[in-house]
Amino acid sequence: MARPCAVVGIGQTDYRRRLEVSLEGLVRWAALEALADAGLTFADIDAVVIGKAPDLLEGVMMPELSLADALGAVGKPIHRVHTAGSVGAATAISGATMIESGRYDRVLVVCYEKQSEGNATWALSGGRSGGQGAGGTFAPWIRGYIKRSGAPEHIGWKVAVKDRRNALRNPHAHLRIPDISLEKVKESPMLWEPLRFLESCPSSDGAAAVVLASEDAARRGPSKPAWIISHAKRSEYSSFPGRDPIRPRAGVDCAEALYRKAGITDPLRQIDCAELYVPFSWYEPMWLEGHLLAAQGEGWKLTDGGATELGGSFPVNPSGGVLSSNPIGASGLVRCLEAARQVRGTAGEHQVDGARIALGHAYGGAAQYFAMWLVSSELQPELR
Amino acid sequence: MTSSPGRPVAIVAAASALHPVYHGPEATLVMTCVNEVRQAAGVDRVDFTMAGSCDYLAGSPFVFVMNIEGMGAWPPIYESHVEMDGAWALFEAWLRLQVGDVDTALVVGSGRPSVGNQREVFSLQTDPYTMAPLGLDPVSLAGLQARALLEAGIATEADFAAAAGRALPGMDPGDLLAAPYFNDPLRSHDVATPTDGAAAVLLVAGDRVAEFTDTPVWITGMDHRVESHHLGLRDLTRSPSAAAAAAHAGAADGPIDVAELMVVHSPEEIVLRNALGLGADTRINPSGGPFAANPIMATGLMRVVEVARRIASGEARRGLAHASSGPCLQQNLVAVLEGEL
Amino acid sequence: MAAQPERAGLSTVLEYPYTRTTGPVVGAFLGGLGRGRLLGSRIGGRVICPPVEYDPETGHRVEADLVPVGPGGSVAVWTWVREPTARHPFDRPFAFALILLDGADTPFVHAVDAGSAELMSCGMRVTARFADEPAGAITDVVFVPEGSEPGGSPAAEAEPVTTTTHLISLRYSQPLHPHRQRFVDGLRAGRIIGQRSPVSGLVYVPGRGHDQLERVTMGEEHDTAVADRGTVTSFTEITPVQYHGQKETEPYIRASILLDGASAPITGVDVRSIPLARFRVGLRLQAVWRPEDERDTSGFDNWAVGGWEGVFARWEPTGEPDVDSALLEEHVF
Repeated sequence: MARPCAVVGIGQTDYRRRLEVSLEGLVRWAALEALADAGLTFADIDAVVIGKAPDLLEGVMMPELSLADALGAVGKPIHRVHTAGSVGAATAISGATMIESGRYDRVLVVCYEKQSEGNATWALSGGRSGGQGAGGTFAPWIRGYIKRSGAPEHIGWKVAVKDRRNALRNPHAHLRIPDISLEKVKESPMLWEPLRFLESCPSSDGAAAVVLASEDAARRGPSKPAWIISHAKRSEYSSFPGRDPIRPRAGVDCAEALYRKAGITDPLRQIDCAELYVPFSWYEPMWLEGHLLAAQGEGWKLTDGGATELGGSFPVNPSGGVLSSNPIGASGLVRCLEAARQVRGTAGEHQVDGARIALGHAYGGAAQYFAMWLVSSELQPELR
Repeated sequence: MTSSPGRPVAIVAAASALHPVYHGPEATLVMTCVNEVRQAAGVDRVDFTMAGSCDYLAGSPFVFVMNIEGMGAWPPIYESHVEMDGAWALFEAWLRLQVGDVDTALVVGSGRPSVGNQREVFSLQTDPYTMAPLGLDPVSLAGLQARALLEAGIATEADFAAAAGRALPGMDPGDLLAAPYFNDPLRSHDVATPTDGAAAVLLVAGDRVAEFTDTPVWITGMDHRVESHHLGLRDLTRSPSAAAAAAHAGAADGPIDVAELMVVHSPEEIVLRNALGLGADTRINPSGGPFAANPIMATGLMRVVEVARRIASGEARRGLAHASSGPCLQQNLVAVLEGEL
Repeated sequence: MAAQPERAGLSTVLEYPYTRTTGPVVGAFLGGLGRGRLLGSRIGGRVICPPVEYDPETGHRVEADLVPVGPGGSVAVWTWVREPTARHPFDRPFAFALILLDGADTPFVHAVDAGSAELMSCGMRVTARFADEPAGAITDVVFVPEGSEPGGSPAAEAEPVTTTTHLISLRYSQPLHPHRQRFVDGLRAGRIIGQRSPVSGLVYVPGRGHDQLERVTMGEEHDTAVADRGTVTSFTEITPVQYHGQKETEPYIRASILLDGASAPITGVDVRSIPLARFRVGLRLQAVWRPEDERDTSGFDNWAVGGWEGVFARWEPTGEPDVDSALLEEHVF
């Protein structure tokens, strides 16, 4: 069966607009930091996996080819994953597959986006006028969630404030809004009714990297491993009669598979914190419910009661999340590596005290692609 | 890394849908192939699905999101996608099956290159600062590789014609040499014409193979390697990445009866034969190779399909399938396939 | 053959002016071109051109040690481009070549404006011709056979390059998918045509050419017409983000409408005639067709969901009672 796999090195750039680096410089920044963290060099790496969102974002087709040299991949396997917004987490899982197969001992996973090179709304609309952007896709479902759950409108504002406050503790975060407040969010312009400007993610540049290793290789390294105790992916069609895009079945199935593999029976209690892909504020309660962390209609109550704040019973996005930094193709890997930082105890100012098991998550497309992993400070954690 | 044999994995069904120009959606092409392999193997749901496709072929983002309509994603499926030829999707599926948590996997590659000028589109594969703004297209890049082979005395233009002529039975290579140049020293017939199409294979691991077929085609080894993107740092007459991939895939562990090589520019055949150590005993591209059909993003996976068909039919016992990506064969994948072990 | 403009197919241009930040090494190289200089980087005893930020064989960090190379060099290998594409630097035949610049140890690929293939040979000498007005891009230099008019007299000093702009413009063309063509023909004739699944009986508008749920392909025999009135299942108000090619400037409603007789809504319907305050899920609407000779179906391509504005002048509330939104929950897309 699957060989154990661990995160042994983590690297990430700052997520502001990166006007001083080339694409190569950007990905190398993250890759070299991850290698240094793992006490390795490119020479120690067996294979490289890269992930990013559509090539139209930077106008570079199949960038694994032009980035192969910069990532020390010459003479090695390199492949490129693309699963829309979930790609960062999907790429991490693709790398884990290589380790688990028993054929590779150390794999470098790098994801990036350099949104400042192009324009995301242009790219996501295929260059056509009238692109609705991701917000236009998700807004009706958010409205549907609000109606279905009876959540008060301030829940979205609250998430927006919490994640931006958390971002102030994360030096990599793109948005830094020290005076963020419910009032400020509430008064920000309406972009896609009912979503306001400050309830939406920014356009960011950035790269993230992890070094994944087999058990033997992980135990030989200088840094504390974060063990990947479970991962799961699920996908479904974007639209068909009977689909519930507010609570997509792929998200429910994915979470079920993830918890089952790890032996988790009470995820809200047994998992210590989560980095959820929340590009629009309301997706925090939506995913708490949609990924079985809360009962239907109860997710917003966790948010409202402060449980998801840093210091709460189930901190969500202590790093500031996608709402504070969105290098699209990297955002999923950032969620996964921030979860790993938590269980390694290296999350710095946004560390969740005593985190032992953490969830990293991403979704993409029309809320139809899901990829998740659970990382732990121990290979076989005792579930309490 | 280790090259120890993992859990055995076999191809139990393969399908393709090829059209010079296909006017329907790519997802329908995918559906046609997927339905065919499902019916052939008698399976409804598979444990894992991997696809390969490319947005830029059609100039539209999220081609794979539309293609999933052809794969059967309701109820939800465990699935992933590479923005690469389907041969690389096969690679990840093959690894996933070796992990042991899934037993069946569907692999698809697809593309509808007829909608764009792919000579222009593929120039975007090159270095975005120093190459892509020059519009460096794959044919011109292959022209440089061809010239390098001629200059080194490794090949002649007649060798190029012979490789291109594999898909033209009865054609006298001498007649091909009479054609005018397109990208000297390449002639139009030295460049495979893009085809719209899809290919699919169904993989099964371990003990369950016998449930699905009497003629499994085992994937006994697979590997892929990349070279420098900077042409000036490479010897264009050689392919160390193809050689390394073949070595790690165990190609030399036995005779190769048949090899399907992703030769989309005829000089590549000479480079690959040398790198892969293929001798006179190996039949090269009996299907005609990409010169017979070049469904971009499935061209590599089609090589696997063609070898698998020949092994399943008993025509060959052991074969090699090759896929490539990037300027002048920058990246190469080799799969070794065998009949009953 | 007689022109058939209605069936001539779609031609779209995918165009964007990308702005690439170069980083220090590529920036120095591109900046050098503006001053009539070619630079390589000395890495491990070799001079590599164009320069790279790292050791390309290992990926290891190297200190940028930039040295001048060229402007002359010799052609290692070449190919003659007889039919240039729109993305090539010349609209006349030219050569691409690997050029070993004087002082460099590795060749780099660039264009040679030689006029004729007969003038090209391996080993021939070429020299750089720099642009008079550099744009901060690799196209600020081309090569010509030695002895040609050198041309170009770049400034001795030029702004350092930190950003290089790359306009990517690609034309794609294809006919409408057969089922989309029948759908569009129907709209011109005032009918909305979908496809009924032969397995489930569900009606999709427009058809997809296949039923993804039942995994069967569908053809003309599955076409079926639905009503031009229906119910709002989902909507959002879009505040247009400005980008290259965007024509929208004012906020508007984008809705999904479940037409009577259909099993799935039409999506991407832009509504500009009903105020947001009166728009809601469950609202019953009637499409008002444009006169037949004014219908424009060019907004319907093979991918996008929009285009309805070209055939409908507007949507009007029917005055019927709203449909209970709970009944529409499975059409919220």
